[in-house]
Amino acid sequence: MAGYETVEHDVLVIGAGGAGLRAAIAAAAEGVSVGLVCKSLLGKAHTVMAEGGAAAAMGNVDDRDSWKVHFADTMRGGQYLNNWRMAELHAQEAPDRVRELEAWGALFDRTPDGRILQRNFGGHRYPRLAHVGDRTGLEMIRTLQDHGIHQGIDVHMEVTVLTLLRDGDRVTGAFGYDRERGRFRLFRAGAVVLATGGIGRAYKITSNSWEYTGDGHALAYHAGAALMDMEFVQFHPTGMVWPPSVRGILVTEGVRGEGGVLINSEGRRFMFDDIPENYRGQTADDAEEGWRYTQGDKDARRPPELLTRDHVARCIVREVREGRGSPHGGVYLDIAWIAQKLPDAKAHIRKKLPSMYHQFKQLAEIDITSEPMEVGPTTHYMMGGIRVDGDTQMSTVPGLFAAGECAAGLHGANRLGGNSLSDLLVFGKRAGESAARFARENRASTVDEAALEAAAREALAPFDRGTEGEGAYQVQHDLQEMMQDLVGIVRREDEMERALEGLAALNERAARVGVTGNREYNPGWHTALDLPNLLTVSEAITRSALDRKESRGGHFRDDFPEKDAAFSTFNTVIRKGEGGRMELGREPIPPLPPHLAQIVEENR
Amino acid sequence: MSMVTLRIQRFNPEADAAPVYREYTVEVDPTDRVLDTLNAVKWYQDGTLTYRRSCAHGVCGSDAMRINGVNRLACKVLMRDVGAQVTVEPLMGFRVIKDLVVDMEPFFAQFRSVLPFFINDARPPERERLQSVEDRERFDDTTKCILCAACTTSCPSFWANEDFVGPAAIVNAHRFIFDTRDAAAAERLEILNDREGVWRCRTIFNCTEACPREIKITKAIGEVKKAILYGTARA
Repeated sequence: MAGYETVEHDVLVIGAGGAGLRAAIAAAAEGVSVGLVCKSLLGKAHTVMAEGGAAAAMGNVDDRDSWKVHFADTMRGGQYLNNWRMAELHAQEAPDRVRELEAWGALFDRTPDGRILQRNFGGHRYPRLAHVGDRTGLEMIRTLQDHGIHQGIDVHMEVTVLTLLRDGDRVTGAFGYDRERGRFRLFRAGAVVLATGGIGRAYKITSNSWEYTGDGHALAYHAGAALMDMEFVQFHPTGMVWPPSVRGILVTEGVRGEGGVLINSEGRRFMFDDIPENYRGQTADDAEEGWRYTQGDKDARRPPELLTRDHVARCIVREVREGRGSPHGGVYLDIAWIAQKLPDAKAHIRKKLPSMYHQFKQLAEIDITSEPMEVGPTTHYMMGGIRVDGDTQMSTVPGLFAAGECAAGLHGANRLGGNSLSDLLVFGKRAGESAARFARENRASTVDEAALEAAAREALAPFDRGTEGEGAYQVQHDLQEMMQDLVGIVRREDEMERALEGLAALNERAARVGVTGNREYNPGWHTALDLPNLLTVSEAITRSALDRKESRGGHFRDDFPEKDAAFSTFNTVIRKGEGGRMELGREPIPPLPPHLAQIVEENR
Repeated sequence: MSMVTLRIQRFNPEADAAPVYREYTVEVDPTDRVLDTLNAVKWYQDGTLTYRRSCAHGVCGSDAMRINGVNRLACKVLMRDVGAQVTVEPLMGFRVIKDLVVDMEPFFAQFRSVLPFFINDARPPERERLQSVEDRERFDDTTKCILCAACTTSCPSFWANEDFVGPAAIVNAHRFIFDTRDAAAAERLEILNDREGVWRCRTIFNCTEACPREIKITKAIGEVKKAILYGTARA
């Protein structure tokens, strides 16, 4: 077969965003050897784009906050489909994980008395997001990267993993190729942590970077692991909508946290028109109270713009559908209005939201300190993913762990802003530690040469078809268009049935894709190899969304627009069945233990 | 929509002995970015065209390249600002792997040489260390770096001598040297006092002009020089 190079680690971490870096650091601290695979260069991962902050109940700005309130907020936001054990651990451990970052030198904005400053965000009762201006993700990645640099972690940059290796039921490594030379690399390992992020590139309009092709989801699925909650895709309410080239680029929720308001074409602040029952008691009565909340008045309740993302996104879609949208199919997000309230509002906006200021200035020629932005929903985050044990982050396959966005459970049906950065710190650490323990007891094993041979042959097949095959980009673009149209923010049975037929056709086209050129750094080839992953996650999303005949969190059905209690008792689970067919099941959610039920009750 | 000609420096290590320029005609909107135009070439004309890009938001720093001779991020430059004839070339000073992709390892090695990680062996307090708003502000600017290499590869001192540690590494040292919580400023200053360190900087300001994050790099380098001369970063 084609030659390959072999490397061996106790723990192999696939993905070098926040979760992967944190897992690698944790595993290395346990004294085992660690390999870290990045699809791009180290430090460029999607986490770098996170703007708002990391949610942690430190109580630095409002001392009424506690892990219990954070837990209750997370469960409410997730519509109680969350893995409650994960929500509990996350709320309890996030403050220590943020302080640990600080101890490793991370920069944070500070309170006047020098503590870590925390800001308001949607669905969080108290100001909870530790942040650095609007570049928190960049600082987090850099701190983890810097800290990991001198820990002896072996970094494999610009390497893509094609398949996981198995020995019986257990995962014992991975097989992939380096992009620079296009040569195969075998990773033998005692345990593997998947930290590959999300799936946003299955959609046309997305805030996600090109790497987000559902690799970890698909790798785990083919290795026999269960996926869960795949119907729950988060459409962030505020992406840029104009000009077309930047459609989908994120406009941070921090704009609304600083007092930004959503306005329709009639000049109406429409978010006041529809406030869900379970948030009514926490939402401001009028604009004045909402403004006071954003300025730190502890007696005020939050403005409706800071309701959960699923709800805000749907309200925007409603305004646009009913003809009250902005010229380019969005609504207006206005932060400039705060000039009525603050003496030096322009400077204040530039200081609090510098990246947003520059983004609009450079790409849309909009000065956000004096004009409103046009915004609309953009595919942002995957709540669903690899089903894991809440304490250890091990998947349903021994030796295979998952953390961060590619794992499921913490966020349930909808993620709160700020909970992803804390997620990847808390569960990255746990996954790395568990994987290290597992690897100490389970060594890498013999390699099935036939499986490698098959994987290599399959990977190189597009070269054999050459110019006779269709280009990979055409198939990818058609998939993105179709998922956007048929399995997007508003879903219907007939459309999703059509999507399943479309996916079958796209699978056939993907199997006939051809690439030209050489194996050295060939992006057409890389895209051809991303396609099967995108198709696998798209099918999982569509099948799960068809099965959930209700509307809940990020999943909205036009044909079943209400929440249905019958669907509140289980998670949708996807597995690879006999003959390679995708099988769907429902796993009952274990009841909340009394101590957690009490917390939920106390925070109603 | 209008037609533009993109003149791209291509290099295929399997086939070319030296880089060659190829021209592509692409239909663009004035508000398209250079990155969109490169994508259009790759998607519809030549799937082997190679360049790095990740976030496409100007935050990851993957797509720095020479656009009409100036180091820019392709995801932050609009087509209407570059004219109908655009030349795109890889960053200068590093080995070209393929097309617009250069070998970044020497750049990362420079970065690693300045101890770019927080050093303080004292036990951290139970909660976070305190840091005043003013002390935090002191090194805010240099924490914005995205390691895109636009500064280092625009520096004539680096072109003349590739052993020069380069502006990006100095920027990343600056963020620790001027952080009141860090305890290894002296060590870093000594590293930068080397003959390949800050003194190779001739205050040409190319780096400051090239920085897509608008970091005042030359000023930061000046502060490091001063700290070396006066023996302290805290004065």
